[in-house]
Amino acid sequence: MQTLPLSDALFTATQQKVLGLLYGKPDQSFYANEIARWAQVGKGSLMRELDRLHQAGILTLNRQGNQTHYQANPACPIYSELLGIVRKTFGIGEQLQAALAPVADRLVWAFVYGSIAKGSDHAGSDIDLMLIGENLGYGDVVERLLPVEERLGRRINPTIYTPADWLAKTAAGNSFVQRVSEQDKINLIGGPPPEEPAHEQ
Amino acid sequence: MSSKDNLENLARSGGLKAEPPDRKECEGLLRSAIDRLKDAHNPALSFASRFDLAYNAAHALALTALRRQGYRSDKRYLVFQCLVHTLDVGKAQVRLFALCHERRNLAEYEGYMDVDEALLADLIAATDALLPQVRQAMSTTK
Repeated sequence: MQTLPLSDALFTATQQKVLGLLYGKPDQSFYANEIARWAQVGKGSLMRELDRLHQAGILTLNRQGNQTHYQANPACPIYSELLGIVRKTFGIGEQLQAALAPVADRLVWAFVYGSIAKGSDHAGSDIDLMLIGENLGYGDVVERLLPVEERLGRRINPTIYTPADWLAKTAAGNSFVQRVSEQDKINLIGGPPPEEPAHEQ
Repeated sequence: MSSKDNLENLARSGGLKAEPPDRKECEGLLRSAIDRLKDAHNPALSFASRFDLAYNAAHALALTALRRQGYRSDKRYLVFQCLVHTLDVGKAQVRLFALCHERRNLAEYEGYMDVDEALLADLIAATDALLPQVRQAMSTTK
Protein backbone atom coordinates (compact mmCIF):
# COMPACT_ATOMS: atom_id res chain seq x y z
CA MET A 1 0.00 0.00 0.00
CA GLN A 2 1.47 3.32 -1.05
CA THR A 3 1.17 6.00 1.57
CA LEU A 4 3.33 8.68 -0.03
CA PRO A 5 2.39 10.27 -3.36
CA LEU A 6 5.02 9.71 -6.06
CA SER A 7 5.29 13.45 -6.59
CA ASP A 8 6.21 14.15 -2.95
CA ALA A 9 9.00 11.58 -3.05
CA LEU A 10 10.48 13.14 -6.19
CA PHE A 11 9.87 16.89 -6.07
CA THR A 12 9.49 19.72 -3.56
CA ALA A 13 6.11 21.42 -3.29
CA THR A 14 7.32 24.45 -5.24
CA GLN A 15 8.82 22.30 -8.00
CA GLN A 16 5.54 20.42 -8.27
CA LYS A 17 3.60 23.65 -8.66
CA VAL A 18 5.96 25.07 -11.27
CA LEU A 19 6.35 21.87 -13.26
CA GLY A 20 2.64 21.12 -12.91
CA LEU A 21 1.75 24.40 -14.57
CA LEU A 22 4.51 24.66 -17.18
CA TYR A 23 4.71 20.99 -18.12
CA GLY A 24 0.93 20.70 -17.70
CA LYS A 25 0.53 23.24 -20.50
CA PRO A 26 3.78 22.94 -22.45
CA ASP A 27 2.57 24.98 -25.44
CA GLN A 28 1.96 28.07 -23.31
CA SER A 29 4.37 30.49 -21.71
CA PHE A 30 3.76 32.11 -18.34
CA TYR A 31 5.25 35.16 -16.65
CA ALA A 32 6.62 35.01 -13.12
CA ASN A 33 3.75 36.88 -11.42
CA GLU A 34 1.26 34.61 -13.11
CA ILE A 35 3.11 31.52 -11.89
CA ALA A 36 3.43 32.99 -8.36
CA ARG A 37 -0.30 33.75 -8.19
CA TRP A 38 -1.23 30.30 -9.46
CA ALA A 39 1.23 28.42 -7.26
CA GLN A 40 0.58 30.60 -4.21
CA VAL A 41 4.26 30.59 -3.26
CA GLY A 42 6.50 33.49 -2.30
CA LYS A 43 8.13 35.38 -5.14
CA GLY A 44 11.64 34.82 -3.66
CA SER A 45 11.58 31.03 -3.55
CA LEU A 46 9.71 30.90 -6.85
CA MET A 47 12.35 33.03 -8.62
CA ARG A 48 15.12 30.79 -7.22
CA GLU A 49 13.29 27.72 -8.52
CA LEU A 50 12.60 29.23 -11.95
CA ASP A 51 16.26 30.24 -12.17
CA ARG A 52 17.47 26.72 -11.36
CA LEU A 53 15.05 25.11 -13.81
CA HIS A 54 16.13 27.59 -16.47
CA GLN A 55 19.83 26.98 -15.80
CA ALA A 56 19.24 23.23 -16.16
CA GLY A 57 17.51 23.79 -19.49
CA ILE A 58 14.18 22.44 -18.22
CA LEU A 59 12.53 25.81 -18.91
CA THR A 60 13.16 28.42 -21.56
CA LEU A 61 13.17 32.11 -20.76
CA ASN A 62 11.88 34.72 -23.13
CA ARG A 63 11.56 38.47 -22.48
CA GLN A 64 8.43 40.15 -23.85
CA GLY A 65 8.57 43.86 -23.08
CA ASN A 66 9.18 44.10 -19.36
CA GLN A 67 7.77 40.63 -18.67
CA THR A 68 9.89 37.52 -18.42
CA HIS A 69 8.07 34.50 -19.79
CA TYR A 70 8.90 30.91 -18.88
CA GLN A 71 7.94 27.85 -20.85
CA ALA A 72 8.63 24.11 -20.90
CA ASN A 73 11.71 23.52 -23.05
CA PRO A 74 11.12 20.91 -25.78
CA ALA A 75 14.91 20.75 -26.39
CA CYS A 76 15.49 19.44 -22.86
CA PRO A 77 16.74 15.82 -23.11
CA ILE A 78 14.15 14.64 -20.59
CA TYR A 79 11.30 16.83 -21.91
CA SER A 80 9.00 13.95 -22.84
CA GLU A 81 9.79 12.05 -19.65
CA LEU A 82 8.94 15.12 -17.56
CA LEU A 83 5.71 15.61 -19.50
CA GLY A 84 4.82 12.01 -18.71
CA ILE A 85 5.68 12.32 -15.02
CA VAL A 86 3.67 15.51 -14.66
CA ARG A 87 0.74 14.04 -16.56
CA LYS A 88 0.68 10.88 -14.49
CA THR A 89 1.34 12.42 -11.10
CA PHE A 90 0.71 15.92 -9.84
CA GLY A 91 -0.33 17.42 -13.15
CA ILE A 92 -3.74 15.89 -13.45
CA GLY A 93 -3.78 12.44 -11.89
CA GLU A 94 -3.15 13.38 -8.28
CA GLN A 95 -5.51 16.35 -8.37
CA LEU A 96 -8.31 14.15 -9.69
CA GLN A 97 -7.49 11.44 -7.13
CA ALA A 98 -7.68 14.00 -4.34
CA ALA A 99 -11.00 15.39 -5.62
CA LEU A 100 -12.47 11.88 -5.90
CA ALA A 101 -11.07 10.62 -2.57
CA PRO A 102 -14.30 11.35 -0.63
CA VAL A 103 -16.28 9.06 -3.00
CA ALA A 104 -13.49 6.51 -3.51
CA ASP A 105 -15.40 3.82 -1.58
CA ARG A 106 -18.20 4.03 -4.15
CA LEU A 107 -15.79 3.75 -7.10
CA VAL A 108 -14.74 0.47 -8.65
CA TRP A 109 -12.60 2.04 -11.36
CA ALA A 110 -11.72 5.63 -12.22
CA PHE A 111 -9.43 6.62 -15.07
CA VAL A 112 -8.61 9.34 -17.57
CA TYR A 113 -8.80 8.45 -21.27
CA GLY A 114 -8.73 10.50 -24.45
CA SER A 115 -6.09 12.93 -25.64
CA ILE A 116 -4.63 13.66 -22.18
CA ALA A 117 -4.00 9.98 -21.46
CA LYS A 118 -2.56 9.49 -24.95
CA GLY A 119 -0.29 12.50 -24.55
CA SER A 120 -1.70 14.09 -27.72
CA ASP A 121 -3.39 16.91 -25.82
CA HIS A 122 -3.01 20.64 -26.37
CA ALA A 123 -3.60 23.44 -23.87
CA GLY A 124 -7.33 23.53 -24.53
CA SER A 125 -8.01 19.79 -24.47
CA ASP A 126 -10.74 18.52 -22.18
CA ILE A 127 -10.03 15.86 -19.60
CA ASP A 128 -12.12 12.77 -20.38
CA LEU A 129 -12.87 11.01 -17.13
CA MET A 130 -14.50 7.60 -16.72
CA LEU A 131 -16.04 6.78 -13.36
CA ILE A 132 -17.38 3.30 -12.75
CA GLY A 133 -19.14 2.81 -9.44
CA GLU A 134 -22.36 2.68 -7.48
CA ASN A 135 -24.51 5.55 -6.21
CA LEU A 136 -22.61 8.27 -8.00
CA GLY A 137 -24.56 11.24 -9.33
CA TYR A 138 -23.46 13.72 -11.99
CA GLY A 139 -24.49 16.67 -9.83
CA ASP A 140 -22.26 15.57 -6.97
CA VAL A 141 -19.32 14.59 -9.20
CA VAL A 142 -19.44 17.82 -11.20
CA GLU A 143 -19.40 19.82 -7.98
CA ARG A 144 -16.31 17.96 -6.71
CA LEU A 145 -14.49 18.46 -10.00
CA LEU A 146 -15.18 22.21 -10.37
CA PRO A 147 -12.15 23.35 -8.31
CA VAL A 148 -9.87 21.00 -10.29
CA GLU A 149 -11.22 22.40 -13.57
CA GLU A 150 -10.43 25.89 -12.37
CA ARG A 151 -6.95 25.00 -11.16
CA LEU A 152 -6.01 23.13 -14.32
CA GLY A 153 -7.80 25.53 -16.65
CA ARG A 154 -9.33 22.57 -18.48
CA ARG A 155 -12.84 21.24 -18.74
CA ILE A 156 -13.45 17.81 -17.25
CA ASN A 157 -15.97 15.57 -18.99
CA PRO A 158 -17.07 12.81 -16.66
CA THR A 159 -18.94 9.71 -17.76
CA ILE A 160 -20.49 7.70 -14.95
CA TYR A 161 -21.43 4.03 -15.27
CA THR A 162 -22.35 1.39 -12.76
CA PRO A 163 -20.16 -1.75 -12.99
CA ALA A 164 -23.25 -3.51 -14.44
CA ASP A 165 -23.60 -0.77 -17.14
CA TRP A 166 -19.94 -1.09 -18.03
CA LEU A 167 -20.06 -4.90 -18.29
CA ALA A 168 -23.34 -4.86 -20.25
CA LYS A 169 -22.04 -2.23 -22.70
CA THR A 170 -18.79 -4.16 -23.09
CA ALA A 171 -20.68 -7.40 -23.76
CA ALA A 172 -22.99 -5.64 -26.24
CA GLY A 173 -19.99 -4.31 -28.19
CA ASN A 174 -20.92 -0.66 -27.48
CA SER A 175 -18.61 1.38 -29.74
CA PHE A 176 -17.79 4.06 -27.17
CA VAL A 177 -16.96 1.61 -24.39
CA GLN A 178 -14.91 -0.49 -26.77
CA ARG A 179 -12.95 2.54 -27.95
CA VAL A 180 -12.32 3.66 -24.37
CA SER A 181 -11.24 0.14 -23.31
CA GLU A 182 -8.59 -0.05 -25.98
CA GLN A 183 -7.15 3.43 -25.35
CA ASP A 184 -4.26 4.48 -23.16
CA LYS A 185 -5.41 5.38 -19.67
CA ILE A 186 -4.17 7.18 -16.61
CA ASN A 187 -5.40 4.98 -13.80
CA LEU A 188 -6.70 6.90 -10.81
CA ILE A 189 -8.54 4.48 -8.57
CA GLY A 190 -9.21 0.72 -8.66
CA GLY A 191 -9.39 -1.45 -11.75
CA PRO A 192 -11.77 -3.15 -14.19
CA PRO A 193 -14.95 -4.49 -12.59
CA PRO A 194 -14.92 -8.29 -12.28
CA GLU A 195 -16.90 -10.15 -14.96
CA GLU A 196 -19.13 -11.92 -12.43
CA PRO A 197 -20.62 -10.00 -9.54
CA ALA A 198 -18.92 -11.12 -6.34
CA HIS A 199 -20.98 -13.61 -4.35
CA GLU A 200 -21.57 -12.96 -0.70
CA GLN A 201 -19.80 -15.42 1.52
CA MET B 1 -18.34 42.69 -10.64
CA SER B 2 -22.15 42.66 -10.59
CA SER B 3 -24.23 40.31 -12.72
CA LYS B 4 -25.32 43.29 -14.80
CA ASP B 5 -21.68 44.23 -15.50
CA ASN B 6 -20.86 40.64 -16.41
CA LEU B 7 -23.69 40.51 -18.94
CA GLU B 8 -22.67 43.91 -20.36
CA ASN B 9 -19.10 42.68 -20.77
CA LEU B 10 -20.29 39.59 -22.59
CA ALA B 11 -22.36 41.79 -24.90
CA ARG B 12 -19.34 44.01 -25.57
CA SER B 13 -17.16 41.01 -26.43
CA GLY B 14 -19.81 39.88 -28.91
CA GLY B 15 -21.07 36.77 -27.10
CA LEU B 16 -24.45 38.28 -26.30
CA LYS B 17 -26.70 40.52 -28.36
CA ALA B 18 -28.66 43.27 -26.62
CA GLU B 19 -32.37 43.20 -27.42
CA PRO B 20 -35.13 44.67 -25.24
CA PRO B 21 -37.07 42.03 -23.26
CA ASP B 22 -40.34 40.90 -24.83
CA ARG B 23 -43.01 39.61 -22.46
CA LYS B 24 -44.77 37.53 -25.16
CA GLU B 25 -41.53 35.88 -26.22
CA CYS B 26 -40.63 35.01 -22.63
CA GLU B 27 -44.09 33.54 -22.04
CA GLY B 28 -43.80 31.46 -25.21
CA LEU B 29 -40.38 30.14 -24.19
CA LEU B 30 -41.63 29.32 -20.71
CA ARG B 31 -44.69 27.48 -22.06
CA SER B 32 -42.54 25.42 -24.41
CA ALA B 33 -40.17 24.61 -21.53
CA ILE B 34 -43.04 23.46 -19.29
CA ASP B 35 -44.51 21.19 -22.00
CA ARG B 36 -41.17 19.64 -22.88
CA LEU B 37 -40.16 19.12 -19.28
CA LYS B 38 -43.48 17.40 -18.57
CA ASP B 39 -42.94 15.05 -21.52
CA ALA B 40 -39.31 14.45 -20.50
CA HIS B 41 -40.66 12.82 -17.33
CA ASN B 42 -42.63 10.28 -19.40
CA PRO B 43 -40.90 6.89 -18.96
CA ALA B 44 -42.77 5.49 -21.99
CA LEU B 45 -40.63 7.62 -24.33
CA SER B 46 -37.20 6.59 -25.58
CA PHE B 47 -34.06 7.72 -23.78
CA ALA B 48 -33.01 9.90 -26.74
CA SER B 49 -36.37 11.71 -26.85
CA ARG B 50 -36.47 12.27 -23.11
CA PHE B 51 -32.93 13.60 -23.08
CA ASP B 52 -33.69 15.90 -26.00
CA LEU B 53 -36.86 17.20 -24.35
CA ALA B 54 -35.22 17.81 -20.99
CA TYR B 55 -32.17 19.44 -22.58
CA ASN B 56 -34.31 21.75 -24.72
CA ALA B 57 -36.54 22.60 -21.77
CA ALA B 58 -33.43 23.61 -19.80
CA HIS B 59 -32.21 25.71 -22.72
CA ALA B 60 -35.61 27.42 -23.10
CA LEU B 61 -35.62 28.27 -19.38
CA ALA B 62 -32.06 29.60 -19.47
CA LEU B 63 -32.92 31.65 -22.57
CA THR B 64 -36.05 33.04 -20.88
CA ALA B 65 -33.90 34.23 -17.98
CA LEU B 66 -31.42 35.83 -20.40
CA ARG B 67 -34.14 37.52 -22.51
CA ARG B 68 -35.66 38.99 -19.35
CA GLN B 69 -32.35 40.81 -18.80
CA GLY B 70 -32.49 42.20 -22.34
CA TYR B 71 -30.01 39.90 -24.07
CA ARG B 72 -30.01 36.92 -26.36
CA SER B 73 -27.42 34.57 -27.82
CA ASP B 74 -27.42 31.84 -30.43
CA LYS B 75 -24.54 30.20 -28.57
CA ARG B 76 -26.31 27.63 -26.46
CA TYR B 77 -23.31 26.99 -24.25
CA LEU B 78 -23.18 30.67 -23.35
CA VAL B 79 -26.91 30.82 -22.61
CA PHE B 80 -26.33 28.16 -19.94
CA GLN B 81 -23.21 29.86 -18.63
CA CYS B 82 -25.15 33.10 -18.16
CA LEU B 83 -27.42 31.40 -15.61
CA VAL B 84 -25.01 32.37 -12.83
CA HIS B 85 -25.72 36.00 -13.79
CA THR B 86 -29.39 35.82 -14.78
CA LEU B 87 -30.65 33.67 -11.89
CA ASP B 88 -29.36 32.38 -8.59
CA VAL B 89 -27.90 29.20 -10.09
CA GLY B 90 -24.66 27.65 -8.84
CA LYS B 91 -21.63 26.89 -10.99
CA ALA B 92 -22.01 23.13 -10.52
CA GLN B 93 -25.56 23.25 -11.89
CA VAL B 94 -24.37 25.25 -14.90
CA ARG B 95 -21.57 22.75 -15.43
CA LEU B 96 -24.13 19.94 -15.48
CA PHE B 97 -26.16 21.71 -18.20
CA ALA B 98 -22.94 22.33 -20.15
CA LEU B 99 -22.06 18.64 -19.90
CA CYS B 100 -25.52 17.75 -21.27
CA HIS B 101 -24.95 20.27 -24.05
CA GLU B 102 -21.76 18.44 -25.03
CA ARG B 103 -23.55 15.09 -24.97
CA ARG B 104 -26.34 16.56 -27.09
CA ASN B 105 -23.78 17.78 -29.64
CA LEU B 106 -22.20 14.33 -29.83
CA ALA B 107 -25.62 12.87 -30.58
CA GLU B 108 -26.66 15.65 -32.97
CA TYR B 109 -23.47 16.00 -35.00
CA GLU B 110 -21.57 12.73 -34.51
CA GLY B 111 -24.49 10.35 -34.24
CA TYR B 112 -23.48 9.00 -30.89
CA MET B 113 -26.08 8.94 -28.13
CA ASP B 114 -24.97 7.17 -24.98
CA VAL B 115 -27.85 5.78 -22.95
CA ASP B 116 -26.97 7.34 -19.63
CA GLU B 117 -29.96 7.14 -17.29
CA ALA B 118 -28.04 8.74 -14.40
CA LEU B 119 -27.29 11.83 -16.47
CA LEU B 120 -30.91 12.05 -17.67
CA ALA B 121 -32.19 11.81 -14.07
CA ASP B 122 -29.84 14.60 -12.94
CA LEU B 123 -30.69 16.74 -15.98
CA ILE B 124 -34.42 16.42 -15.29
CA ALA B 125 -33.92 17.17 -11.59
CA ALA B 126 -31.81 20.24 -12.39
CA THR B 127 -34.38 21.48 -14.93
CA ASP B 128 -37.22 20.83 -12.46
CA ALA B 129 -35.33 23.05 -10.00
CA LEU B 130 -34.78 25.76 -12.60
CA LEU B 131 -38.46 26.08 -13.56
CA PRO B 132 -39.76 27.69 -10.32
CA GLN B 133 -36.82 30.11 -10.37
CA VAL B 134 -37.73 31.30 -13.87
CA ARG B 135 -41.43 31.47 -12.95
CA GLN B 136 -40.59 33.52 -9.88
CA ALA B 137 -38.44 35.88 -11.95
CA MET B 138 -41.20 36.24 -14.56
CA SER B 139 -43.79 37.10 -11.93
CA THR B 140 -41.65 40.00 -10.70
CA THR B 141 -41.23 41.44 -14.21
CA LYS B 142 -43.32 44.47 -14.94
